[in-house]
Amino acid sequence: MAKDSTKKDTKKRKARTEEEEVVEDAREDTNFPHDVGLELHSEDEGAEADEDSEGEVDEFPEIDTRSDSEDDEDEDYEGSEENDEDEEDSEEDDDEFHIFPKAKTIISDITGQPKKVYPDIEPDYDSDSSTEDVQNRVGNVPMHWYDDLPHVGYDINGKKVLRPARGDELDKFLETVDDPSAWTSAFDKTMQSDKPLTAEELDLIRRLQQHENPDSAYDPYEPTIEWFTSKGKEEVMPLSAAAEPKRRWVPSKWEKQKVMKIVRAIRQGRIVPNKPKTSSDKPTFYAIWNEEPSTHPAPLPAPKPRLPTNAESYNPPEEYLPTEEERKKWEETEKEDRERDFLPQKYSALRLVPAYDQFIQQRFQRQLDLYLAPRIQRAKLQIDPNSLIPKLPSPNSLKPFPIYKSLSITHEKGRVRSLSVSSDGAWAVSGDESGVVSLWEVIVGKEVKRWKFEGKIGSIEWCPRTDVSFFVVGIEEKLHFLIPPYTPPTVLNATLTLLAPATLPPAPANPSPVKWNSPAASSFAVEKPILTVTLPSTSGLPKQISWHRRGDYLATVSSGEGQGGVWIHQISRRHSQAPFKKIKGSVQLVLFHPSKPNFFVATQRYVRVYNLAEQKLLKTLQPGIKWISSMDVHPLGDHLIVGGYDRKLCWFDLELSDKPYKILRYHSRAIRSVHFHPTYPLFASSSDDGSIQIFHARVYNDLMTDPLIVPLKILRGHQVKEGLGVLQIKWVPRQPWLASAGADGKVGVWCS
Amino acid sequence: MGRLRQKGKAGAVKAYVTRSAAVKKLQCSLADFRRLCILKGIFPREPRNKKKANKGSSAPTSFYYAKDIAYLAHEPVLKKLREHKAFAKKLARALGRGEWSSAKSLEDNKPVYRLDHIIKERYPTFIDAVRDIDDALCMIFLFASLPSSAKIAPTLVENCARLAAEWQLYVMRSNSLRKVFLSIKGVYYQAEVMDQTVTWLVPYQFTQNIPSDVDVRVMLTFLELYQTLLGFVFFKLYADAGLVYPPPLDERKDESGAGVGAFSLQEAKQTYSASVANVSTSEGKRVSSKEVRQTIKTISSGPVDDDTEMPDVDSSAQSAEVEEDFVPQPSTSNTQGADALPTLQTLSSVAPSHMSNLFASYTFWLSRETSRPIFEFIVRSFGGRIGWPETSGSGSPIAEDDDSITHVIIDRPVVAKPNETDEERDRRQRRKYIQPQWVVDCINAGRILLEEPYTQGKTLPPHLSPFEDRQDAYDPAADMVVDEMEDDEESEKVDISAEEEESRPENKALKAAAAAEDAAALRAAELEAEAAGVDFSVFEKEAKKARRKTEVDADADGEEAGEEDMNKMLMSNKQRKLYERMKYTEKKRTVERQSLEQKRREITKEKKRRART
Repeated sequence: MAKDSTKKDTKKRKARTEEEEVVEDAREDTNFPHDVGLELHSEDEGAEADEDSEGEVDEFPEIDTRSDSEDDEDEDYEGSEENDEDEEDSEEDDDEFHIFPKAKTIISDITGQPKKVYPDIEPDYDSDSSTEDVQNRVGNVPMHWYDDLPHVGYDINGKKVLRPARGDELDKFLETVDDPSAWTSAFDKTMQSDKPLTAEELDLIRRLQQHENPDSAYDPYEPTIEWFTSKGKEEVMPLSAAAEPKRRWVPSKWEKQKVMKIVRAIRQGRIVPNKPKTSSDKPTFYAIWNEEPSTHPAPLPAPKPRLPTNAESYNPPEEYLPTEEERKKWEETEKEDRERDFLPQKYSALRLVPAYDQFIQQRFQRQLDLYLAPRIQRAKLQIDPNSLIPKLPSPNSLKPFPIYKSLSITHEKGRVRSLSVSSDGAWAVSGDESGVVSLWEVIVGKEVKRWKFEGKIGSIEWCPRTDVSFFVVGIEEKLHFLIPPYTPPTVLNATLTLLAPATLPPAPANPSPVKWNSPAASSFAVEKPILTVTLPSTSGLPKQISWHRRGDYLATVSSGEGQGGVWIHQISRRHSQAPFKKIKGSVQLVLFHPSKPNFFVATQRYVRVYNLAEQKLLKTLQPGIKWISSMDVHPLGDHLIVGGYDRKLCWFDLELSDKPYKILRYHSRAIRSVHFHPTYPLFASSSDDGSIQIFHARVYNDLMTDPLIVPLKILRGHQVKEGLGVLQIKWVPRQPWLASAGADGKVGVWCS
Repeated sequence: MGRLRQKGKAGAVKAYVTRSAAVKKLQCSLADFRRLCILKGIFPREPRNKKKANKGSSAPTSFYYAKDIAYLAHEPVLKKLREHKAFAKKLARALGRGEWSSAKSLEDNKPVYRLDHIIKERYPTFIDAVRDIDDALCMIFLFASLPSSAKIAPTLVENCARLAAEWQLYVMRSNSLRKVFLSIKGVYYQAEVMDQTVTWLVPYQFTQNIPSDVDVRVMLTFLELYQTLLGFVFFKLYADAGLVYPPPLDERKDESGAGVGAFSLQEAKQTYSASVANVSTSEGKRVSSKEVRQTIKTISSGPVDDDTEMPDVDSSAQSAEVEEDFVPQPSTSNTQGADALPTLQTLSSVAPSHMSNLFASYTFWLSRETSRPIFEFIVRSFGGRIGWPETSGSGSPIAEDDDSITHVIIDRPVVAKPNETDEERDRRQRRKYIQPQWVVDCINAGRILLEEPYTQGKTLPPHLSPFEDRQDAYDPAADMVVDEMEDDEESEKVDISAEEEESRPENKALKAAAAAEDAAALRAAELEAEAAGVDFSVFEKEAKKARRKTEVDADADGEEAGEEDMNKMLMSNKQRKLYERMKYTEKKRTVERQSLEQKRREITKEKKRRART
């Protein structure tokens, strides 16, 4: 209702002349409580109404322009509007309510039409009493802003309008009892108090209740004003002078043609008026495969379902029937996980077989498989799995190789980490972690001599020369050169002169941090080392000693830091040098090439080959092992095997590639040691799983033939102790025998 | 430098589309897409690398070939489905407005799709189609036995039953049934049609209801395709066999429950080859005057000739022709054509294998409690005659008191019949009363088995699947005898050795020596031997011999295995994995077989024990 009034207001405001504006203002003010005072509508609605009125503004001028042309009519229109208001007013008059000033109807001098004239407003205090009603001039703001304040707004003078006292529910109720006009009053938001509704407001409500037009001035039965069609207003002249076209009275030729076409079609039976139902599902079949098939390949047929087995019989052999636990297990597993979708059952007669309750489900499942399951075409291998195993010569034809353990000696304390066999194959030395080095005969297995050192034995290696006989023991930062007992005097003399010469060679120009000490040859005793090489401090335990083939040079790898821990010592010159100033990665192992001046250095992941004569890097081998544990070069020098802690063994053909020719993975634990036999085509690897694997490895001289690797024998016999198995293996030169040292303190010799 | 490759322009990402992308591309609902996939036989694919196909996402999705979907976009059925969607809207509006006449005309012009082109596309040759009718037959037989409901129209069930009967009629006539298996799931049949084995499963005759966890719409879509496929396949099969398709149905017989007998096979008088020859001559470019004259002659020779040519082209004309009675009329073109090309009909009539006439010399009578559809089909497929009581349906060719009946298939326990007339007893003694399994076992064995183990009231021998053909599979029938013999021998051996041992204690000592592994055990054995009074040197020798023997035994086995194991080291990783996979299934099968054998041994032992006590 407020919306209507505002709309009307805006319309009027636009159309009104200057002098009427004042009146309008007054009217608006009186109307104001309609807008805001009633609690019946929310603020949103008010805002909408405002917007609507704004929208109306644009539409209005159309009427305005028309009214411009006919000024009097405009006046009339206005007048009638005002009249309506007037009538409303007059009604109110009857009710003794008087808000608007009374209008007078006079005859206009200009148009001669009656027109309403309002009395002038006198600008004194009584002129507009309606303004006094609104004390709170706070405007159209949300009243909850004042919820926590003692006042509800400000009057025209800026004074606070205090919040009227509001009683509790009981007071309210009593008020409604006392006040006869209470039921016609509503809450005034601005004043925060109840206010009686005015008579016109009540009238409006009554009209709305009775579904009448809310506007009391609206007359639904106004006589129509005929603007164009009334008598005397007919058009006399035609709008167009063209002659009436033929089509208005002649039937269409084209229509006739079209109809005739259909009629002919119906007569000829091309169109059947009441066509038989297309949905009559009688598929007609014909010889569809009589034409040539297309050249497209047929789509792959779906795989056929599995054919039934004996277990599905209604009367299967008894062994197919599930036992109680099998039945239980079947029932407990999920439907999708079951190996077969039924439980075998036995019926004594065909008439007792019931309907299969899963029949439809299984059909449905099959259909789901047909259209939802991805299909992959797999070539089924019709081969014997055993044909995949490579055919290799029988080990029996590749004898001799070690087969059984012929003897073993025991180190009481500690694991035996190092082992070496003399070049003539008669003697062997082994050193354990408690510092004991024992010398024993290979054939008999009897311990001949024992040395005791402080600290762990890192490595032991015999000199490969045959004219002298000694071995080197690496312990903490020291290399001891020892001469075994019972050496022939000529050999002993040669050894003494080599290791402790009477005249020392001249000292090198730049002094090395490595010290060579030897007691005089005269004071030689078997118990004492004949020569001691002191490595620089903090170099740590020499974990590997590697002799050059001629026996003059030996290389050591220490576990400590600095220069990779690699030293090359020359016996004849009693001189040591570090071949690398700086080396990438921590060096694990070094090896001399058997025939060329090449030097293999294994870091954690790569094996680098250096030429010592030219002092340059030849190639880097990539075994693909995470951590290299062992390495050995074939006596011919063209092949290299590398073992790793990640159980892999790589065979490199040095002529062929930087990548392994063959990778073998057969040990179940880390590989600890690998060794080529110096003369026989054999090599062996030992592992933490306590086993030693013997291979036949034949290398051919022509470059076309690949080396032949045949696994020959797995030797078991060492115990695995604290996760460590066989730590070191060495072949006995000149014999197909193998010596092995294990973490269980046993040293064994395996004979063929 | 090569061209720069942009991401997402080539490779798996272009070759595959996800299902939702496919649906979006085709602008149809998921249900329509499913229907299309079923009809066209499009199924998801598994890309090699899911991540690459799905733009880096590894979420579980189903992929289709992009090309499959691109072809689908031009599918006439898809067009019809869209039309149907519009039709449904129009119809709903017309019904909502109460415009009944327009609704009716809409309904009359409802868009209907045909699947002929899809059949031709999916099965370019007839052999392809025959190879793939297994699933179709299973579904048809299932739906033929279902009760009609709101979801399953009675016409559908009727049509399925008709197709099922047509197939059975064909199989019976062509004697192409090969194997039958009575399983707990239903009856498996295997036939050989056009050199293709066709296997189908028929449920036992019980009322089935569609369970709630089954989507009927999917099944109905499949059924739609299968009905069309089977229609075309049967048409071709019947035409090749010189029969009229569809075989006319005798309504009266059908209502009285004659089943397959309600259809009557009719020979098409004009062979197919003749019409082909005719057509080819008329289509030829250069037509000689002689040919023209001949053609005119054939046309003038009889109007029937013209009609008979049509069935191959127009089936509606054919069905009309079927209804009128046929008068055999020789045509001039017919004779040459028939001679020139041997049809399937002639071939099948010339060389029926002896297997297919297994029951030719027998006449069966079905007892009331046996299933008539199963045994009528089986017996007639193998050339036998069969009759049944009126309670199993009408149309029995023989009566119960027919003298030609040799076997009665009966499935109930023996009951003494006190008031039996002489005639009845006489008749009973002339006939053989066998249980139904005999018929099926005879077929699977390919010969007539002895009736004795299958006679009425006997405990039947196990019914084995004729489809087990794996070499290493457990065969319950074959090694039963061998096993028993072994069992006997073993027990005897044990007995003997036990006796011997008891009588000769020194032997025992020697054996112990052989078995002794360490020194202590050897020592103990030695002492025992001494106590038994064996000379030490003898003991020494014997012990050594025994030990060597055991060693050699162990070595022979161990070395072989060890050598193989060692050679495995040199396999490449790929080969090793393949080897292990192959070994896995092999091992699984062996375990299965062994468990079955073990079970049987236990069962036989149990039986023996029970027999003894």
